[in-house]
Amino acid sequence: MMLFVKLAWRNLFRNKRRTILAGLMIGLGLAAMITTDAVMKGTIDNMIATATSSFLGEGQIHRDGFRKTFEVEQTIVNGPALFDKLKKEPLIRRASPRTASFGMITSPANVQSVMLYGIDPADEKELSKIDDLLVSGAYLATADEAKILLGEKTADLLEVGLGDKIVVTVAQAHTGELSQELFRVGGIFRFGSRQMDGGMAFIPLKRSQEMLKLDGGLHEIAFSFHDNLKSEDTALPLWSELSAGGNEALSWTELVSELAMMRSMTDFSLYLVGIILFGIVAVGIVNTLFMSLYERMFEFGVMRAVGTRPRQAAQLMVMEAGALALIAIAMGIVIAFIVNGLLMHYGIDYSGSEFVVTLRDPIYPVLTVTQFTLYPLLLFIFTCLVGLYPAIYAARLTPAKAMKRGL
Amino acid sequence: MEHVIRIDRVSKIYRTGEVTVEALKEVSLTIAKGEFSAIAGPSGSGKSTLLNIVSGLDKPDGGTVELGGKAMTAMSASDLSDFRRDHIGFIFQSYNLIPVLTVEENIEYVMLLQGVPKAERRERVAKILTEVGLDGMQTRLPIHLSGGQQQRVAVARAIVSRPDIILADEPTANLDSKTADALLDMMQELNRTHGVTFLFSTHDQMIMDHARRLITLRDGRIFSDEVRG
Repeated sequence: MMLFVKLAWRNLFRNKRRTILAGLMIGLGLAAMITTDAVMKGTIDNMIATATSSFLGEGQIHRDGFRKTFEVEQTIVNGPALFDKLKKEPLIRRASPRTASFGMITSPANVQSVMLYGIDPADEKELSKIDDLLVSGAYLATADEAKILLGEKTADLLEVGLGDKIVVTVAQAHTGELSQELFRVGGIFRFGSRQMDGGMAFIPLKRSQEMLKLDGGLHEIAFSFHDNLKSEDTALPLWSELSAGGNEALSWTELVSELAMMRSMTDFSLYLVGIILFGIVAVGIVNTLFMSLYERMFEFGVMRAVGTRPRQAAQLMVMEAGALALIAIAMGIVIAFIVNGLLMHYGIDYSGSEFVVTLRDPIYPVLTVTQFTLYPLLLFIFTCLVGLYPAIYAARLTPAKAMKRGL
Repeated sequence: MEHVIRIDRVSKIYRTGEVTVEALKEVSLTIAKGEFSAIAGPSGSGKSTLLNIVSGLDKPDGGTVELGGKAMTAMSASDLSDFRRDHIGFIFQSYNLIPVLTVEENIEYVMLLQGVPKAERRERVAKILTEVGLDGMQTRLPIHLSGGQQQRVAVARAIVSRPDIILADEPTANLDSKTADALLDMMQELNRTHGVTFLFSTHDQMIMDHARRLITLRDGRIFSDEVRG
């Protein structure tokens, strides 16, 4: 066995240029695979982080059925108590109570319907990034001040600026009676999403509860986990605990199912990329090994003549494929580190682009241990498997014919 | 006398498209243990074909081949490999060394396939290197040896595994006459001291002169079979 390992390794360096080129080609395939995976992961993570940290949170609690109708009276069962419990839950990092209702904003120039959120300024500041996304004005200071935060597009449509007065109209719970109140524009935000910048507004929680006659009730509690991977673990008992008594606790994977679906589509795309790359690599390996075999046809004939069994000749070819794979893997890992190192330093700037969500920050590749263990291992196995084709050919050579062809 | 090779009415036909060439026509031959024989004849007479069939590198279309009392014609490719490994030593015209292995590793190659223990391998290699006059060259690669030295390594490799017979196909073809003469002397000496059977395929007069039995092939048949002293 060691004899063939030695032979395979030395044979590989008989034509250094060819081995380096073949290794480079296979290595580039591996590096492309790692980089594609890392960038895809980075893109998805960026989108998820943008979606969950901007306003959504990693999970939300509503009254069961609220998300279908947005009826004002559909408040969370024992909302304030649930919020207090959630804040003490060890898995939970942050939580923010909200009201959510349709509302009409009237300015002297125009009228705009919006999704009006009542937020607790302090809790919301911890959970979401509304304060960071203000392009002018200031974030809400207290839970009962008569100030409103508008999206940039809404402000443009209403033709209002900071300090301008506007009237907010909402329908009250149970009675449906309209309630109107005067607010001053305290800040203008830009999420980068048309839907949010043109259709959302934020007022202090206490104000909205009073306007909607909710008696302290809540429509939504958004929260985030200490370990964000927990948010995707739908088997976590916490979800059913929070859903008890007529409420509904959902992870971001269910709230923005497009993102979860996009991630699984990305995985599928990666499989396709993998198949194509490995296909190209396979042709390269077979070509390299056959060239090497044809060059050494006489030698193979001699080896077979002096007593090398057909299986041993095949073994030698597979070992040469394996040795080539090891060189290629080393090259591929180095290339992948360099390329991803550069991408991690500079990032891929798609900020402002709207896919499922609007990307705010540049995309940085996400490197994982799997990329540097599983992919090289798969490549090694794959290369050895592909090496079987020339190996079988070598095994079937009759010594006399091989020596004749080699001459 | 004990026979190493027994060939009985062996024939071989090559077909290339519609052209059929009868390379061997019912050739029968026996080679006894310890012989130093040569098969001679002009190009196309069937020398190499006969040697290939005797060694199991090629299969005959008719007749039987026995080596050491075993019928080779019925063996599988794998069994034939084992048989060649254990019973036949080869020396080829173009030295047939494995370029990536050192002199010592080349000589060891067949013994490694045979599973000879390391200590015994090293001992046999050291001994044979002295016998073929290559002491101190064990770590050299074939590329750093002259043609004559490479052929000596090939002889060492052929003999070190203790085969029943050594088949040598034009072993002096790429050597100058002085080197060829020295090589033949060495092989003759090995034949005398170790009792190894040699069968050459050649049209080199020097080998024919050294051979104690000269079998001449012509048009696929044995034309003459001359035993000298």
